[in-house]
Amino acid sequence: MSLQIVVVTPEKTTLDQQVDSVTLPMFDGERGIHLGHAPLIGRLGPGELRSVNGSQVNRYYVDGGFVQVSNDVVSVLTGRSIPVAEIDLSAARQELEAAEREPAANSELMELKHKAIAQAKAQIRMAENNG
Amino acid sequence: MANARALDKRRKSIRNIKKITRTMELIATARFKKAMDRASAATDYTQRITAVVSDLAQAGLEVSHPLLEARETNDTCTVLALSANRGLCGGYNGNVIRAALGRREEMQKDFNAVRTEVVGKRGNSGFRFRGIQVDESFVDDQGVSWIEDDPEFVTIDKIADRYLREFAAGELDRLDVTYTKFISSSRQEAIVETLLPLGELEGADATVDEGAANQDVSLYEFLPDAKSILDEVVPTSFKVKLFKCFLDAAVSEHISRMVAMKNATENANDMIKDLSRTYNRARQSQITGEIMEVIGGVEALEG
Repeated sequence: MSLQIVVVTPEKTTLDQQVDSVTLPMFDGERGIHLGHAPLIGRLGPGELRSVNGSQVNRYYVDGGFVQVSNDVVSVLTGRSIPVAEIDLSAARQELEAAEREPAANSELMELKHKAIAQAKAQIRMAENNG
Repeated sequence: MANARALDKRRKSIRNIKKITRTMELIATARFKKAMDRASAATDYTQRITAVVSDLAQAGLEVSHPLLEARETNDTCTVLALSANRGLCGGYNGNVIRAALGRREEMQKDFNAVRTEVVGKRGNSGFRFRGIQVDESFVDDQGVSWIEDDPEFVTIDKIADRYLREFAAGELDRLDVTYTKFISSSRQEAIVETLLPLGELEGADATVDEGAANQDVSLYEFLPDAKSILDEVVPTSFKVKLFKCFLDAAVSEHISRMVAMKNATENANDMIKDLSRTYNRARQSQITGEIMEVIGGVEALEG
């Protein structure tokens, strides 16, 4: 018995494998999932998803979204998921700049702006830590 | 009798056209397979999000959200038509344009303002030809459409975000999308779908688990809580639905082109056969004519 992690984006299933444990970037911080975790539906924030298999740790950036944990299957639904090594640092910096220039005239625009900034910052942070 | 050389020339040009249509058919087939793979890969996400919604509904949460409910005000409506950037695909673009025009006229009766937005070069020129102003044509500064026939989710996400923003701000009361739905490989239909308000969420009609609902305990732990997850799920399912429309349109476009080019190739074959026959007959009668002349000349000399 082992934990199954499935990461799906609207375009395709980007990851589907058996692992020992998963660390999820929840909206309010990280959360680790091991075998036999209680059923859970939660919101994700932009950040790092780690899957641990033995001594091997795979790190992915996810764009937020949801996670559903049940029967030792972790389904992550996200808009975008990229392995850390493939993050484009300069593109992320540009995204951050563009996001900071966005108008924030009302609360909805402000929310969108914050979201875009958080996504870009998470990518930059992960890419820098990786290298 | 027609000139044999002119017939031969025509036959040659048809052969060349046949080469082109045959190649286009092969290209369309390859792209159709690619688009089909993309579309089927996308269903996984839809299924999982439906599962989340039905789990939420089972936990006794009433599925309600501003995006799901019809507005009482009938101020603005947007009709979005998804057409192709390229032609030579049979009735594909024409059908979409016709369906969008029909819906647009209907909406003009009910709504004070109707915006027309058209994706794709062909659709845009079709609307311009009919003298209808297109409010948004999704083109960049050079007038090139920035939505290709293999749309990425990030691109559609931006468009969807704009609609959500407009809807939330009350600038948009209804969004109708006209696209070609892929029913089977032999049937595609131009249809109009209302995406905003979203109406029902798939999976929302799951039977409520009475015990769980009453005791306020559900199988799932919700982080932070069921309501705020729903607040995220609803806009996401709108985005995915819109994305699906784009994917379906792409699949249908390629298959329409495939069929159109296949017919063109077959027609070219028939024409070549016909022309060959006429050509041979013309050549033969020319030869016969020449022989008759020679014989006539010989006979004249003998006489």
